Amino acid sequence: MKEGFRQAMAWLHTWTGLIFGWLLFAIFLTGTLSYFKEEITHWSQPEVRSHALDPVHSLEVAQRYLQDNAGHSGTWFIRMPNEREAALSVGYRDAKGGPRGFVSKNLDTQTGQPVEARDSRGGEFFYRFHFQLQMPYPFGRWLSTFCAFIMLLGLVTGIITHKKIFKEFFTFRPGKGQRSWLDGHNAIGVLVLPFHLMISYSSLVLFMYMVMPAGIMASYGNDTDKYFNDLFGRNDAPKVANVATPLVPLPSLYAQVQALQPGARIGNIQVQNPGDSNARVTFTQSAADHVAYRRSANWTFDGASGALLSQGKPESGAMMTAFSFAGLHMGNFAGPWLRWLYFFFGVSGTAVIGTGLVMWLGKRQLKHAKSERLPGELRLVEVLNIASMSGLLLAVAGFFWANRLIPMGVEGRADWEINTFFIAWGLSLVHAVLRSGRRAWGEQLALGALAFALLPLLNGLATGQGLNHSVRVGDWAMAGFDLTALGTGLFLAWLAGKMLRRPKPVAKRPSRAAKKPSTETAEAS
Amino acid sequence: MTRKTAGLPLSYRLAVASRSLAALLGGYLLASLASVCIALVAPLPQVDATLTGLLLSFVFYLLAFIWCFACRSAWRAWLGVLAPSLLLGLISAIAYWMKNP
Amino acid sequence: MLGIALMAFAGFVALCLAMEKHFSDLLGRKPRPGQLRLLRAAGWLLLLVSLMLGVNLRGWAHGLVEWTAVVMAGVTLWVFGLPYQPRLLLGLAAASLVLGPLLAVFAV
Repeated sequence: MKEGFRQAMAWLHTWTGLIFGWLLFAIFLTGTLSYFKEEITHWSQPEVRSHALDPVHSLEVAQRYLQDNAGHSGTWFIRMPNEREAALSVGYRDAKGGPRGFVSKNLDTQTGQPVEARDSRGGEFFYRFHFQLQMPYPFGRWLSTFCAFIMLLGLVTGIITHKKIFKEFFTFRPGKGQRSWLDGHNAIGVLVLPFHLMISYSSLVLFMYMVMPAGIMASYGNDTDKYFNDLFGRNDAPKVANVATPLVPLPSLYAQVQALQPGARIGNIQVQNPGDSNARVTFTQSAADHVAYRRSANWTFDGASGALLSQGKPESGAMMTAFSFAGLHMGNFAGPWLRWLYFFFGVSGTAVIGTGLVMWLGKRQLKHAKSERLPGELRLVEVLNIASMSGLLLAVAGFFWANRLIPMGVEGRADWEINTFFIAWGLSLVHAVLRSGRRAWGEQLALGALAFALLPLLNGLATGQGLNHSVRVGDWAMAGFDLTALGTGLFLAWLAGKMLRRPKPVAKRPSRAAKKPSTETAEAS
Repeated sequence: MTRKTAGLPLSYRLAVASRSLAALLGGYLLASLASVCIALVAPLPQVDATLTGLLLSFVFYLLAFIWCFACRSAWRAWLGVLAPSLLLGLISAIAYWMKNP
Repeated sequence: MLGIALMAFAGFVALCLAMEKHFSDLLGRKPRPGQLRLLRAAGWLLLLVSLMLGVNLRGWAHGLVEWTAVVMAGVTLWVFGLPYQPRLLLGLAAASLVLGPLLAVFAV
């Protein structure tokens, strides 16, 4: 029965891994990029300059701008610049302005005026794609969350299937064909398992209110809003008194926050009813200050008198559990070295999926090595493998090339960067259909290598902020992006070389392949 | 070409489809009812009980999936998700009526 | 945190060497039974101490997260580097055994 159980789990692992692997690869790759979304945005909008951080000055600048331009609005938002985000963002509700009745501007802290930066979603595109998949709300979120569940299932079934998980903990044997692929797949799965389990389960936690509403409905009935108010400790929005009263200077409130929580970095500020006697100002601590999300890390002041009205309620044990998972997933608390580790672990998760997809096909390809062409279903898998992996990488590179090449004033510029991403992806699919497997891989990887390796040069020529400039002025976000692009290009070039140089592999020992030794991934076929 | 891949019997394919549905739909039912049950029964403040129910629901979904493909037949798959669902549903119903008389 | 990372790295290497197959492959000789047990104990001890130092330095939240991260990074470097540069990695492990505690105790 034990044999049967492991075999069944291996079957489940293999088939769910295949069906959802292509999508999961995209989710993991774009999610991994998202750990540097601010840096990507910085590269995508080089017009937004970093200045020395001065929270008090930033608040003055923001308040002055909002008072001059958004005096009529009932709600203001301010997002403070930090080590990773150069821009001071302000926003306000305006029924006549902007999409969805909301105006948003990036201010330069030196001039106090909006920065005219090229219209681009930057890193936010990859961030939103990885959980919305460019699908209309809420379908993308449902699909990506279900994929996260399948990832968790894949990890658990993988653990069950891996008979020698402890014995082969340190085992990696390169240069042995399918054996090496399996070793590699197992190794990056097992050695980075805490991260993989955390990232998969926490994805479920982030959207659990949406995908598992039954518990909320059973407990709160029709009043599901109350669940969220109970959870986040929200207060009711203050009513407008229609008595004009100037808003206290925000720096004075900032000073109060510093007295209450010395050293706290501020993430954002919300002002309700500015210029009214019933104004409220809420300061929220930066997510970078805690591992878990903290609903208690905010302070609400009377906007007219400056008195502290309330602080966020403390978290219960259950809340800390859920908020910890959310915080761990987002990784906002990670400093530079830990952020690079997050990125590296994200790449490893992507590689677990990628090696799995390659192995799924590779194993079955061996059986057809002697025949002219692959049977239809295997050819489909091959095409999807190529398009979803090397094709996706080409799409990412395409996005960045579009960012530098599309002229500033073009209408809908940001959308065209995204269109380029999908057009490149689509073309890679067509290419994969038209070319033989190995050649398609090699050609796409080679093109990808060029596209990434040349990005720093393109950047330098197009903006004058290439490596020679960014390293000199210490703009490490810009330099880091260019260097990572270069590194990616070199890695892809190495991969392309392996695909294009070696001759088509022939099944050396067909008898052994057909004998099907009892490996731990024996599957029903 | 041998009948290797095309030769899977229809009964096998139907069994796999049935197990898949049991896992996907039955498992979701089980997970939902587990979260409902925990939300209504756990001796915690309302928001915390609901939260705990949500957090643990996915464990039930995971176990349901594993059961549906590990058990001996597709019938047992359905039984293994529907029977506990029924039990959890009953407990939830009793707890609900006790809270809202 | 670097000292803690190095100690954890040395700990995992010790656990690896505590397996007879890896001991023979890497050190080129057969281990005495006592040696394997000693390596296993030393390995777990190094991991435990590095964890305690990590939590002491950075608190429970940041400490646990960072410790787990450096452990995963270290063991990945070991496993994927081993087929290519076994001697270099063994040297790194030996150096970690000395540098790790030094950095952990004296540096911030």
